[in-house]
Amino acid sequence: MRATVWAGRNKVSVENVPDPQILNDRDAIVRVTTTNICGSDLHLLDGYVPTMQKGDILGHEFMGEVVEVGRGVGNLKVGDRVVVPFPIACGACNACARQQYSLCENSNPNARLAEKMFGHPTAGIFGYSHLTGGFAGGQAEYVRVPFADVGPLKVENTDLPDESLVMLADIFPTGFMGADFCDIKPGDVIAVWGAGPVGQFAASSAQLLGAERVIMIDRFDYRLRIGRENRGFETLNYEEVDSVPEALKELTGGRGPDACIDAVGMESHHHGALYAYDRVKQAMRQETERPFALREAIMSCRNGGIVSIMGVYGGLMDKFPIGALMNRGLTIRTGQCHVQRYMRPLLQRIEDGEIDPSYIVTHRLSLNDAPKGYDIFKHKQDGCLKVVMKP
Amino acid sequence: MATHDIRTQDRDGLARFLGWFSIGLGTAQVVMPRVMCRIVGADDGGLAPRVMRLMGARELAQGSGILTRPRPTGFVWSRVVGDALDLGALGLIARKGHKRTAFAIANVAAIAVPDYYEARHLSAKQGPPQSGKRIRKAVTIAKPRQEVEQAWADATELRQKVDEHGAQVSFLEAPGNRGTELAVEFTFDPPAGEFGVVAQKLTGSDLATQLADDLRRFKQLVETGEIVRSDSTPNGHLLADHLKQRAAQPLPENERERVNM
Repeated sequence: MRATVWAGRNKVSVENVPDPQILNDRDAIVRVTTTNICGSDLHLLDGYVPTMQKGDILGHEFMGEVVEVGRGVGNLKVGDRVVVPFPIACGACNACARQQYSLCENSNPNARLAEKMFGHPTAGIFGYSHLTGGFAGGQAEYVRVPFADVGPLKVENTDLPDESLVMLADIFPTGFMGADFCDIKPGDVIAVWGAGPVGQFAASSAQLLGAERVIMIDRFDYRLRIGRENRGFETLNYEEVDSVPEALKELTGGRGPDACIDAVGMESHHHGALYAYDRVKQAMRQETERPFALREAIMSCRNGGIVSIMGVYGGLMDKFPIGALMNRGLTIRTGQCHVQRYMRPLLQRIEDGEIDPSYIVTHRLSLNDAPKGYDIFKHKQDGCLKVVMKP
Repeated sequence: MATHDIRTQDRDGLARFLGWFSIGLGTAQVVMPRVMCRIVGADDGGLAPRVMRLMGARELAQGSGILTRPRPTGFVWSRVVGDALDLGALGLIARKGHKRTAFAIANVAAIAVPDYYEARHLSAKQGPPQSGKRIRKAVTIAKPRQEVEQAWADATELRQKVDEHGAQVSFLEAPGNRGTELAVEFTFDPPAGEFGVVAQKLTGSDLATQLADDLRRFKQLVETGEIVRSDSTPNGHLLADHLKQRAAQPLPENERERVNM
């Protein structure tokens, strides 16, 4: 079959690889009908997430049709249309019992590597480095899905196109969890750093959960415009203001946002001396993060507010404003999304017409054009916000 | 997976550091005595390189002693004496007024402090020397105690392996309905001291890590009914496999038989 593989730093190629097969009774094989490039794939692409190996199949946002099931999968049958959540979860351990699926204790066969790096291991993830299991990803014609009796969401509704549903595999739930963390109450103002796909869904979800105002911060006008025109967010281009925390204060009567969502992560951009400092340290592999958005989110949040981190971080960072965090009584909430917990309720919201997540799609490519897709998404060319691909 | 090293071993972290420090310095002195002479500001011809090489041999002997003895009191004291000798030798060449010599003296003086501290610390130890390290690995399995004990009884191969190393196994009800805490405790005392530890790690036969992997696999089997396999790690948690992972893509036909299904 054809698959998108990581071929070294900043290199992807579409290659012929062996077809997957059932290895365990609870596996299923899915023929991929739609797969996306995710912002976190870009962190893998340039090698800032460790333990990538040449030949690794990328991709953790995908959906498709079940073509084979193991003996232990009773809830799916050949021909079912499924969306596959990106974290692999066993459904039986204590983490899964708490619905913390991305912390599944069993699904990462490289748990020891992850334990060394993070203290405790985390769940397996499709196509997302060897630290999260070394599972082949979904930017391919076929994927082996372990614990297929737990994760995949079967969709019977034939009216909904793949483009809307595939967002349930990762970014819509990820954005939603970011907003869910904010304990939104009537009158709340929520600020979201990043107008990429996760930022769009975090901001949209904040609206769905009853926020009074949602302010989206980015430097790409075309991305801010998509949010403004489709969802009515207030937008702030950080290159047009001297200081984001000051601008946010002005916009909120001096209080600051009630909650701040970081939907940027480890490769944030900023103009200024501190950006140069982080860029150099990161390039020299002295720190893994360039956490400008997170620093700003913490400094901006109102006293006693919540900072929700959905942007991806991988290792260690510098100049973390712990003093502001502690003395101003902020709460940090974060985590890889527990997708399985959110898929059904969010499918319901899509079916009820509260939101159509396909509004972020700007590029539709064939899987063969994956290298081009990565390139325009990474460099934000051609008005790119989200790339969906058909194998 | 919790690992708990109970520090009954006399050869503690500082002693191990000093031992490896001796090996490192000694190797440099023996392999490239002229370079080392230049670094400390001595002549790189004549007698000096030969003296340097002898000092390196001394360091290697001290390092090996520290890393293999259960309680290396004498060898650590010999490092203190060695420091004094080094300072004396450096004092002799210091008359040449080289800045590098002053730097070398500062370095020796700096390492002499932990040497002396550790030598005193080991001298104060009473009773027979403790060489083995008690290692306790524990894992929580989200199943009732009876079920976990039954599964353990059925896991013949794992039980034999654990028995072979004289490990003790205990089952405890985890608080708040979290299942059962399974703990395995044993003494870790590889041959040739710290060299054995490194050799085992490099060859993938490190017992503590193997046991941790075995417990993970046992937990997977009891909780999910299967060993979790990925494309890069098709046999699940196994120490040797972790050292040389495959790329994350499906196995080709001719490699499939290597997978223990």
